[in-house]
Amino acid sequence: MNEQEIRDLFREMRDEPVPADSLARARMGVAERIGAERIGRKRWWVPLLAIAGCLIGAFLLLKPAKAPVPVQHPALPEVAQVRLPPETPPAPAPRRPKRARPKQVAVPVSMIRIETPDPEVVILLVN
Amino acid sequence: MWRGMLEAALMGEIPRETTSGSFDDVVRQREAQVLRTAFRILGNWADAEDVAQEVFLRLHRHGIRFANDGAAGAWLYRVTVNLCLDRARSQRPSQEMFELPSRERSAEASVLLEEKKRLLMAALAMLPVKERAAVVLREIEGLSTAEVAGVLGSSEVTVRSQISKALVRLRGILNREEV
Repeated sequence: MNEQEIRDLFREMRDEPVPADSLARARMGVAERIGAERIGRKRWWVPLLAIAGCLIGAFLLLKPAKAPVPVQHPALPEVAQVRLPPETPPAPAPRRPKRARPKQVAVPVSMIRIETPDPEVVILLVN
Repeated sequence: MWRGMLEAALMGEIPRETTSGSFDDVVRQREAQVLRTAFRILGNWADAEDVAQEVFLRLHRHGIRFANDGAAGAWLYRVTVNLCLDRARSQRPSQEMFELPSRERSAEASVLLEEKKRLLMAALAMLPVKERAAVVLREIEGLSTAEVAGVLGSSEVTVRSQISKALVRLRGILNREEV
């Protein structure tokens, strides 16, 4: 096949009809998509409403509680309590008066040595 | 609507004059062109249908109105080709797209011309996607080189070179098959 034959074939293909089913499918597709876009445009408030709902929900869920929630413990059986007398602190012991220490005065010491018959016993008399 | 038009202008997809032509009119007049172009670049109808839907959805979203037929055609070609290029780049080429029809099938074919066209389309699918788009727009859709350059966002010299290379490659593929 030479170049001219190729060009002639191309020229013949110029007026070939498009399959009717393809044309119909394309036309229907366009109509459907345009319809879907129109509905989307009319219902512009739907996504806004959904976003607002999500924001409110998130706000309510994440809101910090003002007071701590009291924890309820199971009630314990009552036990008779024995009252103990109040403890009194022990009275402090009375202080003893301090003994006055005798003042040491330099007194001349006199000592008398008495010898006994027993040589191992000696009597010493001081002052 | 203005936001859509600004977006389209930033994407380089908006025609300068936007005054008349309702969406339904454009779809009715141009759906075959869009589908056919997408099919020839992508090689299968399912992808071509997806691209056509996306093209008309963009047209609707941006609320674009065209001053004349030429403006509508150029805009639609540009967006179609851009979407096809994106799709072709993002997906690995399917085996189905690159399979040339078998010899048996050729023998079975009652009309030789039809078989040749099928072979040519299969060979076209083997080209790099930009070359493929240039050939489809220039040779099949019949746009001028300047128009093709405008759609592809390249220079006329580049388009001429792409088409020339593509034809050589096509000839090579087809002759190899014929041997």
